[in-house]
Amino acid sequence: MPSTSLTLLASATLVKQGAEAKVYKSTLHPAPNLASLAPDKVQTDASQPVYVLLKHRFQKNYRHPTLNASLTRSRVAGEARALMKCLRAGVNVPGIRMVDAAEGTLGIEWIEGESVRVVLGGGEDGEEIQDDEQGADADIEPPDLLAVFNVNQNDVMVMIGTEIAKMHLADIIHGDLTTSNMMLRRKRSLLSTTSAENKETELLLIDFGLSYISALVEDKAVDLYVLERAFASTHPDSEPLFALVMQTYAEKSGKDWKAVGRKLDEVRLRGRKRSMVG
Amino acid sequence: MESYLYDEFPDNVCTVHIALFVDVANAAPLRARLVRASTLEGVEGDAEREAVNFAFIDAKLVTSRLHVQTALYQSIIAFTQSALKTKTVHSEVLWSLNPTNNITEALRRFGISDSSTAIVVARVGPQSDRSVIEEQMREVIQGRLVPLDLHNLTDWSAIKKYYKLNTDPVIVAQGQNLNRQRTTIDELVTSFVAMKSVMS
Ligand SMILES: Nc1ncnc2c1ncn2[C@@H]1O[C@H](COP(=O)(O)OP(=O)(O)O)[C@@H](O)[C@H]1O
Ligand SMILES: [Mg+2]
Repeated sequence: MPSTSLTLLASATLVKQGAEAKVYKSTLHPAPNLASLAPDKVQTDASQPVYVLLKHRFQKNYRHPTLNASLTRSRVAGEARALMKCLRAGVNVPGIRMVDAAEGTLGIEWIEGESVRVVLGGGEDGEEIQDDEQGADADIEPPDLLAVFNVNQNDVMVMIGTEIAKMHLADIIHGDLTTSNMMLRRKRSLLSTTSAENKETELLLIDFGLSYISALVEDKAVDLYVLERAFASTHPDSEPLFALVMQTYAEKSGKDWKAVGRKLDEVRLRGRKRSMVG
Repeated sequence: MESYLYDEFPDNVCTVHIALFVDVANAAPLRARLVRASTLEGVEGDAEREAVNFAFIDAKLVTSRLHVQTALYQSIIAFTQSALKTKTVHSEVLWSLNPTNNITEALRRFGISDSSTAIVVARVGPQSDRSVIEEQMREVIQGRLVPLDLHNLTDWSAIKKYYKLNTDPVIVAQGQNLNRQRTTIDELVTSFVAMKSVMS
């Protein structure tokens, strides 16, 4: 009998084939059968199917099978725990919807939105799947996504700095901060929606596959340095923008900023020396 | 009653039926019946266990449809992997909802008590006639079957206490904004139930 997760994946839509994981869009809880049964005609609010992002860490066949399974399990567990810690700390991240650690599958709240990379004009992620339909649209001028989200570039930088500061204050190191691993969406709430709330846009951090817990200033500085490099390579002439990320981060980190900022200067210097040598 | 069909689960557990009963008048005798059914022997015992073969959850401790669906889903995964921590897939739902590993505590907190007046009842099983399932629910619960609008019945302070959310920065930061706080609590507990199997 095929396993639960694999059957679920078979009917899901592939979003991205990464090096460690395949990522799919799928429904999790299907639309319910509500056909009224009883004479008192119970009416139920029509509930929409719940969409999730399924991240499946496939088995690498060059590894030992038992080791493989326990590695997969600990990666899934690590990512789920990091998301949970972020949720509790008030860092904007998607919610967790299912975990099948035995199969290496993590189900995450589907974010109806767009990656910051794309919104800032950095193009799709290199590994993104391009189906024929998307390929045909490739030359068409992209819509002004900033306008769609009703934000300007500076707003986005402030949001990035704010979320990273909250994350670091909770001693969570992301490990792969890039603009592909941040998404924008229009806010909505589960229980109640007021029209005012619906106008706002929020930024969410995603992809905690390489994250870990650390209070070390060095780890936080390196996390920021990775993002700085990613900005420089995907978004040309972005220094002034990135400066706003750092300014916001500094403001939101309070007393922690001094040490992290000093360390970041060191890390930059090391990086430059390395690139001069290498 | 809402019914969900999951293609990914094996036939014997591919369907979930969920209903909410309010103004429940027989919580105490129902609870006594559950206790008795678990020890009764012979044919009579089997019939009794079949009659109460549901997960009975105190609706005060459920924050949303997704919260309880997530507990059901994770319990079915555990069932299909022969990894149940409790005796049945239905008791597993209560275990999945509780943030600790203590089974007795889970049943006491999330199961029904003598004073329960609103009950979420769920059945995991094969595809079957929905009207029969609903009739079975109505036979064991004396109450009013209503749509699954759970957040109005939720005891938010009990939820915060059990899931230890009171000191979480995200809750503290929201202060008096109750609507936002409830949305956040619902997200936290739903995510927690989803990841309980890898919590530590
Ligand atoms: N929760 C989500 N909702 C919608 N899309 C997502 C979500 N998480 C990730 N994605 C999309 O899938 C891509 C890959 O997911 P990610 O977690 O970053 O995995 P990887 O480790 O392969 O980079 C992301 O860049 C993003 O475009
Ligand atoms: Mg990524």
